[in-house]
Amino acid sequence: MVVTPRYLGRGSWLARRDPRVPILVGVMAALGVIQVWDARIVAVLLALAIAYYGTARIPWGSVRRQWAFALTFVSLLVVLNTILTTGEISGLDPTTFHTLFTLPLIGTKVSSESLSYAATQMLRFVTFIAVGFPLAYAIAPADLGVALARLGIPGKFAFGVDLTWRFMPSLAADLQETVDAQRVRGYDWDRGGGPIARLRRSVPLVVPLTMNAIVGAEDTIDAMDLRGFGTAKRTWFRHLAFDRADRLVLLATFVLFVTITVLGFSGNAKLFVFPFLLPS
Amino acid sequence: MTTTMDRSRLWDVSSRVIVYAAIGAALYGVLGFLINVPIPGSNNVSVRPAFALVPFFGWAFGPIAGLFTGLVGNALLDQLSGYGGLTAWNWSIANGLVGLLAGLFVATPMATVLGNKIIGAAVIGVLATIIGLLFVFTDIVVFGNSFQAALTGSYGFVVVPDVIAAAILVPILAAAWEPLKASLGR
Repeated sequence: MVVTPRYLGRGSWLARRDPRVPILVGVMAALGVIQVWDARIVAVLLALAIAYYGTARIPWGSVRRQWAFALTFVSLLVVLNTILTTGEISGLDPTTFHTLFTLPLIGTKVSSESLSYAATQMLRFVTFIAVGFPLAYAIAPADLGVALARLGIPGKFAFGVDLTWRFMPSLAADLQETVDAQRVRGYDWDRGGGPIARLRRSVPLVVPLTMNAIVGAEDTIDAMDLRGFGTAKRTWFRHLAFDRADRLVLLATFVLFVTITVLGFSGNAKLFVFPFLLPS
Repeated sequence: MTTTMDRSRLWDVSSRVIVYAAIGAALYGVLGFLINVPIPGSNNVSVRPAFALVPFFGWAFGPIAGLFTGLVGNALLDQLSGYGGLTAWNWSIANGLVGLLAGLFVATPMATVLGNKIIGAAVIGVLATIIGLLFVFTDIVVFGNSFQAALTGSYGFVVVPDVIAAAILVPILAAAWEPLKASLGR
């Protein structure tokens, strides 16, 4: 049972960057993309996001399933959003829409505007994901704690994140051990039944695993107390320093973020209706 | 049984709180990744038993541990599934709020319902889930979803299975933890 973050981008250009770079790029991308509804601008951002994704050199075969899952999930969200809004778009007057057809039974009016909105929403999601994957796969797990601490996150919180990563492999092994032990006693997770029955069947796994983890944590707490945890500002063994390429990436991302923000606030990033969708 | 948690200790960030918080987040990530119960006929909606750990850790170890368990655990789960820990950052905050609220509710008379701390834990778990997850309505701003889509597609989809998980598993975990807590001298 392997439940550790996979460092698939190891050795890539992005992985050689200071680990604060992908975090800051991710934050600026998340805050920037949500301001834009013009598909042309989002398309440019998506192209940049894909180029950025490429620098992480994440093997396609290793993340194919994750991409399939993410794309399926966001496609469902976009379709659901379009159907549930009954063709309306927040902030726009539906009487000005160009209705193309009406969905039978549910009566949702599908217009040039709602289709453009759905397409833009999809592009935004894919941009998020393209920037999100390198966060998951191109930061060395051991660097995350120190990166957060150097970004100004309180030291104890950053240490907690570091500790979380370190606990995962042993907890996954404990879970496997618990599953095996319960199977010897006749436990069968796949026995069928409804969601509630299956939820109740998770109790023999969740409860012992959780209680064992809590009891086992006492040793870690004692070790930390004996070393005076929290009595002074924490230092980290790993030293982080931005190099020239890091600064350039951050500067370019920041300039892009400011540009998007200006476009957004000046009303130049509103919904763009694809001309080919407009009835002639 | 004591009725409420000592208010002055709610915001302590000791080594104990940090370690329990990290354990909670790691457990949420590992169990959430490996164990989920799909709801038949729904669109990719699952009951995640691991979600119950969020209100439980808040209830048992305070609001800081609860906040951390939900916030970091959900981001970790998204990282493990490859979605990226920051992609749905508002959902991680929503999960964190559930743990935070569970920890805060312990310092209120809600901690004991009908003279029973375990029933109180269940009520706290359910209420914290219903209120904390309201933060997913920020999908309207973050992802451009409509209110209807946020209500039914985001909040409705997640709150029902998570309330079920909290209602069933939080009291069971609380009942297992109470005697253990006493034996650990806590």
